[in-house]
Amino acid sequence: MKKQKIYIVVIIGLVTMLLVAVMFAQFKTIEETDITGIETARETELRTMLSSWKEKYEETAQRLTETQNTIDEYKRTIASNEESSEILDQELEQTNLLLGKTDVVGNGVIVTLTDNDVQTISADDLLVLVNELRLAGAEAISINDKRIVNMSEIVAVGDSILVNTERVTSPYVVKAIGDQTYLFSALSLKNSGFIDTHTSNGETVELVQQNNITIPAYSSSRELMSLNYAKEVEEE
Amino acid sequence: MSKNKIAITLGIVCMILTIAIVIQINTIKGTNETVSQTLAEDELRDEVLRMKERYDNAYSSLENAEKELAQVREQATQNDDSSAEKEAEIKLNNNLLGLTDLEGQGVEITLQDDPNATVDSISVLDQISNHLVHDSDIRMIVNELKNAGAEAISINGQRVVSTTSIICIGNVIKVNDSRVSSPFVIKAIGFPERLMTALDRPGGFLEELNSYGIVTSIKKSNKVEIPKYSGVISAKYMRTQN
Repeated sequence: MKKQKIYIVVIIGLVTMLLVAVMFAQFKTIEETDITGIETARETELRTMLSSWKEKYEETAQRLTETQNTIDEYKRTIASNEESSEILDQELEQTNLLLGKTDVVGNGVIVTLTDNDVQTISADDLLVLVNELRLAGAEAISINDKRIVNMSEIVAVGDSILVNTERVTSPYVVKAIGDQTYLFSALSLKNSGFIDTHTSNGETVELVQQNNITIPAYSSSRELMSLNYAKEVEEE
Repeated sequence: MSKNKIAITLGIVCMILTIAIVIQINTIKGTNETVSQTLAEDELRDEVLRMKERYDNAYSSLENAEKELAQVREQATQNDDSSAEKEAEIKLNNNLLGLTDLEGQGVEITLQDDPNATVDSISVLDQISNHLVHDSDIRMIVNELKNAGAEAISINGQRVVSTTSIICIGNVIKVNDSRVSSPFVIKAIGFPERLMTALDRPGGFLEELNSYGIVTSIKKSNKVEIPKYSGVISAKYMRTQN
């Protein structure tokens, strides 16, 4: 009788201990997962910040060097009384390129959106796509060969979509020049990328990478390359 | 009986010991982890700050260099008509690109998250998002302004340029990679009446936002000032086709 009781007590004791130990082990694991979750999030965020500042710095430093070279070039022509046409043309060409006043060529991606029986492509779809392409660093974008410049609008008027006041229709071929790999992977992110979010709605969207894409210069009759109301703030 | 008591006491003591050991192990591990974590993070944080400082310095040098460039360009071209024409065109291009501060007639729009929307006042949690200004709302307004002929646009001081994206990451809206938050002030230079009508007309977009409790205002102004883009626009991947 006594021996049995002792056995029972010891066994109960052991089981309780085991249970408690397991419980603690469990608590610990939960805690650890939480800690690593926060830790990686923080560190990842910091690393992203670091690389983004680094990229901005490098871009700025490079532009600074270029600008100083251009200044020197002008100074040289002033000192020697030469014509400054070469450096002027260079600057003009560069700013025209950035503005969208020239045909451009480069590697990038082409997204084709087509109306189908289920879904019609909306102006908003195109607006969102252009935004995503810009986020992924696109340098030049066109929709059905209408160049998207800074002040280009994409609006629905009745059943039509207008880009730079010109009508575009399905299939919408959206070309973008930029870092091809980055553009492609940004759009094709699983579930959250543009392609997945829009094909899951039943839209027909195709994404391809292509080299030597040509995007035409801005050529709409709409005056987006002049300023009638805005003027530069003069230095005091 | 006494043997039983001894066994129980022993059991309890063992348990307490085990618990103590487990707690201790936990605490030690925890402290070590936190220490090494914060150390690594602090180092990273320092690095981020140093890089930001380097950028700030480079950027202010670039601002000065751009002013100097405009001056020497003007000086170098003042004696020749065709050069002066090109100089004016470069200036216009830089204005259009968003690389200069601009001023002129236009409108100022303010959007503010619904001040009455709190988690308490709204029963279903996901409905609170209806009372907040979204990235898509701002994109919509910017697009409407462009459609109404805006010549320059800024969002909380961030100039809208050809590379500008307006996105939402978590509950943060980013424009040009900078955080912006409510109240959102969107400025546009252009023909004021047209800009105004585009958004303020009955059934227009501002009215729609109002119906969700978002506080909106729009006013015409004779002097809207829009700052230049605080970044660099470059062509690394595209080139002019000859």
